[in-house]
Amino acid sequence: MGKIDDTIPEIGFLPALVITIVFGIALQLAGNWILMLIAGALGALFVRRIRKAFLLGFLGIGIAWGLLFAYLSITAQAMAVANMFIGLLGLEGLGFIVIVISILIGALLGGFGAMLGRALYELIDEFLPSGTGGEQTS
Amino acid sequence: MKRKVANLALSLIGPIALIIILTMPIGPLTGGLGIIEPIGGIFDSGVPAPGSQRITLNGLDAQVEVVVDHLGVPHIYAESAHDAFMALGYMHAKDRLFQITMQNYFAAGRISEIVGAYAASSDMYYRTIGLKRAAQTTLDWYEANAATNPIVATALDAINAEVEGANIFIRSMTAANTPVEFKILGFKPEPWQAVDCFVNAKMLTWGLSGGVADFQRQWERQELNNDSMYNDLFPDLMPYTVPIIQEQANISYAQYPLAPGMYPATDDPGQYTSMALADETYIPEGKLESLLNMMNEVLSPFGDRELVGSNNWAINGSKSSTGTPILAGDPHLTLQAPSVWYEAHIVVPGELDVTGTTFPGLPAVLIGHNDHVAYSFTNVGADVTDIFVEQLNPSNPDQYWYNGEYRDFTIYNEDIHTKEGTVIPFTVKESVHGPLIDSAINTYGLFGDSNPNLAMNWTGNSVTHELVASAGYMRAHNLDEFIDAMYWWDSPPQNCVFADDSGNIAMLVVGRFPVRAGYTGEYPVVALNDTVGMVSNIPYAYNPREINPSRCFVSSANQRTIDPSEYGYDILGPQANGYRGRRIFYLLSNNNGISVDDMKRFQADVVEVRAEVILPYVIDAWDSVGDGNTTISNAVDILRDWGYNMEPNLVAPTIWMYLINAIHYETFDEIRAVNTSLPLSRTPVLEQIVVTNNAYYLDDHSTVGTIETRDEILVRALHRAIDTLTSDWADEPNWVYGNRHIVHIEHLAGFTVIGDVPSRGQDTLDVAPGWVVTHGPSTRLVADLGNIQMSYMAYPGGQSGNMFSPHWSDMFDIWYSYDNVTKQHGYHILYFYSTATAFRTADTDGTLIEGTITFVP
Repeated sequence: MGKIDDTIPEIGFLPALVITIVFGIALQLAGNWILMLIAGALGALFVRRIRKAFLLGFLGIGIAWGLLFAYLSITAQAMAVANMFIGLLGLEGLGFIVIVISILIGALLGGFGAMLGRALYELIDEFLPSGTGGEQTS
Repeated sequence: MKRKVANLALSLIGPIALIIILTMPIGPLTGGLGIIEPIGGIFDSGVPAPGSQRITLNGLDAQVEVVVDHLGVPHIYAESAHDAFMALGYMHAKDRLFQITMQNYFAAGRISEIVGAYAASSDMYYRTIGLKRAAQTTLDWYEANAATNPIVATALDAINAEVEGANIFIRSMTAANTPVEFKILGFKPEPWQAVDCFVNAKMLTWGLSGGVADFQRQWERQELNNDSMYNDLFPDLMPYTVPIIQEQANISYAQYPLAPGMYPATDDPGQYTSMALADETYIPEGKLESLLNMMNEVLSPFGDRELVGSNNWAINGSKSSTGTPILAGDPHLTLQAPSVWYEAHIVVPGELDVTGTTFPGLPAVLIGHNDHVAYSFTNVGADVTDIFVEQLNPSNPDQYWYNGEYRDFTIYNEDIHTKEGTVIPFTVKESVHGPLIDSAINTYGLFGDSNPNLAMNWTGNSVTHELVASAGYMRAHNLDEFIDAMYWWDSPPQNCVFADDSGNIAMLVVGRFPVRAGYTGEYPVVALNDTVGMVSNIPYAYNPREINPSRCFVSSANQRTIDPSEYGYDILGPQANGYRGRRIFYLLSNNNGISVDDMKRFQADVVEVRAEVILPYVIDAWDSVGDGNTTISNAVDILRDWGYNMEPNLVAPTIWMYLINAIHYETFDEIRAVNTSLPLSRTPVLEQIVVTNNAYYLDDHSTVGTIETRDEILVRALHRAIDTLTSDWADEPNWVYGNRHIVHIEHLAGFTVIGDVPSRGQDTLDVAPGWVVTHGPSTRLVADLGNIQMSYMAYPGGQSGNMFSPHWSDMFDIWYSYDNVTKQHGYHILYFYSTATAFRTADTDGTLIEGTITFVP
């Protein structure tokens, strides 16, 4: 088995972003926010720098949740739910803040997940032989 | 390598921090911020419910079809009662799980597990009363007697089926159908047990028949310290009351020799009246006030007992326009969201075809009609709870003196577990009379008693059989079968109105009424042996009831059950003031050819009888001795032109509200002089003082050397009313009643509100007490026994407990609506098709049916 970064190529930021968005939407359908860490980490497979990975995960999951909220606002009263929730905190009529915070949370989950994933891949690659059979680097 | 390890370590900080932030409780949001994700959190609650569904219910004997109508009401078509109630249990849980869980934990004294330790005082109170213990005792009795008594077996089977159906829903719950409240509170509901059904039933019973009037009476009497005045101003029997039962109809004592619920009874109450009465035992004033404060602070299941009331009446064919009986009922309970009620129609061919309101979590249509009979309830409001002061063993407070020896209290360990994970140690002691109610306060040590010693004897705190009765009466085909079923109804005491398609009407006062020996039941007493206490009960055969009375109608509105001079047993009150009862009696006495529309109009009646009687004296007083004040003259002119209707677009009702309080204030200076916290008597007493021109009470005794007349007092009341009104409404110059008289229906956890709109009524048939109306007609039923298919109902809420469902408040809109031309509120037809096919056939334009849920084994 070769290194992760040798097996999965760097494909450029925008294609990686699209893939991250798709991962974000698909995994969020399972209904567990912790999976957004994994979605970000999966997106980080397609970039090589940790800062870029964070940006990719942040934007990818943020956009994914933004799209989901857009859909839910049309089909499932997302604004009404958000208004009820913010009302419990005494902030009547500011439901959009809940959605903005939610998207921000998703973005941070994606970003931190991507950072963690990238750091993990790079560490694992330390222990894997290169795809060309070259010796391990230290 | 080290750098990469460091990178990994540093990159772990963000995710760990986020996980902590998203799972930690934030204020009331104990579910953590993670619940605001788009899918799997609170936003799932906004997703529309699926249309038709096919759901497997393991345990069914055959397929069950549930046609859900356009209001979300399930019409359950099953081949057996077991299957029908399993489907009902599933529907109850699907639509009302949060409500049922809250009411169950509340009644069981476990609400701290959901909302946190701040609710521990409520839990201590309900653990002390012991609804859960009584529920378990009741379940044990059902299980022990099911094998030998078919109707008990029928009831128990329905309970087990309800639980089974609910648990299938609970176990299959996903993020998509978990109530949003559980997500926000971070609470996962447990599967139900059969005992939970009985806890719900006990809560219903406590809410309608609990409470400790003994403390209130003693406090009022002690404070007043004038027995003559106390008897005048706080009577047990209200003046001008029109009793509910006027033509008592006993049934066969040989056939029904026991009390309801098969408790012992006596047909010779006189044997106890010759006994010497035990002296009232005085509880130290501070302790008494602590007890009253504690009970006022803890929520009652259906709200303030003084506001829990109801109307019901029925007319027979001689009074009706149809030539057949028509029945009406509107139970007044707390208005909550979701509603107290859940409508359902249950059909089991050859056994059951009943529709109306169920209580979520109970397998019974409590109010409604079947294919032959209709029924509804009002609360009797009788005092069936007494306080006995136990004499503790000075050397062992875990013992008390009874029947010549010291006996051990039964001690229950009732540790309270909180949401925060703490355990609050708590024990409840119980004597032969009942649990020591002062276990629930921590202050008894301050008042000389080092230990609790006040035992509460409540008839509901034992095996009760209301679910056996409901299993029977839902299946009744006629009056005899209905009466037979009600032999089981022991608690809470109710005025049950009945009509059938054979032309019969009846008012059955059902429930177990204790026969007391050696004391009156009004005040706390010491009872050192079993000759003093609730020694027996009124036999069911002699319970108050009317069957087809000569006046051709029956009616009740929580007023005095029966004239004490015409009944051989004591039923202890005090009961309602009686104004609604008087108004119903007037309307039914003075109208003939009454139609279904008339019945609806009567239910919407907002004539203030209090004003009708008292206001003319006020206007006469102003005309006689008024001082010409322009503001008051204008107010009197408004009142002069008023037709006594409490309509929200009028100013007169606002003035009247202030005026009636002011008349109480000005008249009862004798009470105010003693303690301003004491209630200023009751309005029928005031009415009697005004109407009879009672010089003693009308005189203001605080003025020396002057004797005030009735007119002077009433004019003073006018001044006080207008002064207070002007001050209170300083920021609202328009005194239109509906500007401040609003109906406000709050979500059980305070998440949202239904209503906040102007409300009609007050102390009227269409009852709406206070300024912010939180009690009122919890449902309205009009059943036409000549054409049962065209019967009507509406309640203030909706079928769904999901606040984002279209069925969250759609029924409220119907209930609230009012047509100024027909003078009726809105209703919906209680669709009553005996098969699913017939229902679908009738739905020619697709507006009646929303979908079908098919439950398969």
